[in-house]
Amino acid sequence: MVSQGIPEETGYIIFLFAATLALVITLRLVISPRDPRPTPEKKAPFESGQIASGPGRTRFIIQYYPYILMFVVYDVIAMFLFAWALDLRALGASGTVPVLTFMVVALVPLAYALHLAGQRENW
Amino acid sequence: MPDPITQIIQLVTSTYFLEIVVFPGLISIAILGAFFTWFERKLTARVQLRIGPSYSSPAGGILQGFADIIKLLFKELIIPEGADRFFFIMSPVTALIIGAALLGLIPFAPGVQIANVEVGLPAFLAIVTLSPTLVLLAGWSANSKFPFIGGLRALFQQTAYEIPLWLSALGVVMITGTLNLTGIVQFQQNNGWLILPQALGALLFIVTSTAEMERLPFDLPEAESEIMMGWQAEYPGPLFMLVQGPAFIKLYAFAALFSTLYLGGYLGPAIIPPIVWFFLKTIVIIVAVMLFRSTFPRVRLDQLLRQGWTTLLTLSIVNIVIAYFIVVGVPAI
Repeated sequence: MVSQGIPEETGYIIFLFAATLALVITLRLVISPRDPRPTPEKKAPFESGQIASGPGRTRFIIQYYPYILMFVVYDVIAMFLFAWALDLRALGASGTVPVLTFMVVALVPLAYALHLAGQRENW
Repeated sequence: MPDPITQIIQLVTSTYFLEIVVFPGLISIAILGAFFTWFERKLTARVQLRIGPSYSSPAGGILQGFADIIKLLFKELIIPEGADRFFFIMSPVTALIIGAALLGLIPFAPGVQIANVEVGLPAFLAIVTLSPTLVLLAGWSANSKFPFIGGLRALFQQTAYEIPLWLSALGVVMITGTLNLTGIVQFQQNNGWLILPQALGALLFIVTSTAEMERLPFDLPEAESEIMMGWQAEYPGPLFMLVQGPAFIKLYAFAALFSTLYLGGYLGPAIIPPIVWFFLKTIVIIVAVMLFRSTFPRVRLDQLLRQGWTTLLTLSIVNIVIAYFIVVGVPAI
């Protein structure tokens, strides 16, 4: 990038700012507390004051998994609509009819998938 | 041939670099972030008939945000046992980079824009899509129960709001016929603000972007009263500051995008310069989103998923139909 005639004072202010930032980082490295031998309690994961038990990475919430499957498919379909929307005026009916058909074809399975996702006993 | 020091000085004082670092880039965002943190606490306090922060300066604690930054910066860096150090540290850093990338796409005033990308709108939405993945990664890497649950909630929540968010922005693209954010503002210069023809789209956009920002009523991944700040629970002081930074940048960037898409961006009567118009509109949206926090209760995850896939999706399709009839004209029956 070529300099576009920024006055010297501005450069000076930026230099001051960078110097302050460097000073703060140095201060942080020097004076902020450091514990060379932390106790196990200090490094234990937070569990509302209880002693942490069991693995931290617990189980997946499986009952909402169908929504993720639906998302993987329909997010891409939503992207396709942008290409249609951009040239809407130029395309006219010849572009709109296939897109409407596409949306109807896409939404019928969506309704069925939503129906299935609502049935908790499947999960 | 200039010596390297002169070259560095030239780079540092070039307009491009100043735009990224100083304004509208990171330094102004940091100052605004500290200020708005204070403002949000004060506003929430007023709504709840409290006083809010009041000690850190004579003017009603206005320096509270800066005091918090200094406090957090000098805290001890504790990484919990069994955490994946690389992802634990890199997730907030990457989120900050993503936030900076969002700001680069916004046209703040004619010519004040870091990157005038031809596909600005989808680029913005595509970049912001990455953040729930980072939340999941941060929650997983902490090796603790609350962060992991928060990360999973972010993942599921994304499936509910992402498609309505894209489809509500689609209405704007249909009417303007461009994906360029400056182009959208120029369209509104000739044809009036888009919030009038796209009122439903604007409503959907602000609801879904509130979900994207993970703010109340959609702050399931970091619900304080349920899962103790969720995915942020294990972050020590300095990293917690890094986590809070992208959260504010996202709020700011989405408010800026909303005012660009629906409120005419930097347009306004010439009494006030364009950039001030832009900031006025953005601040109005930020305050509105902050008022959501003190107005609405938190939704439940299964309700959010159900409503996102039924109500929000249906309304966004209705919005597309409205936009279509605006473009081609209502057919005579």
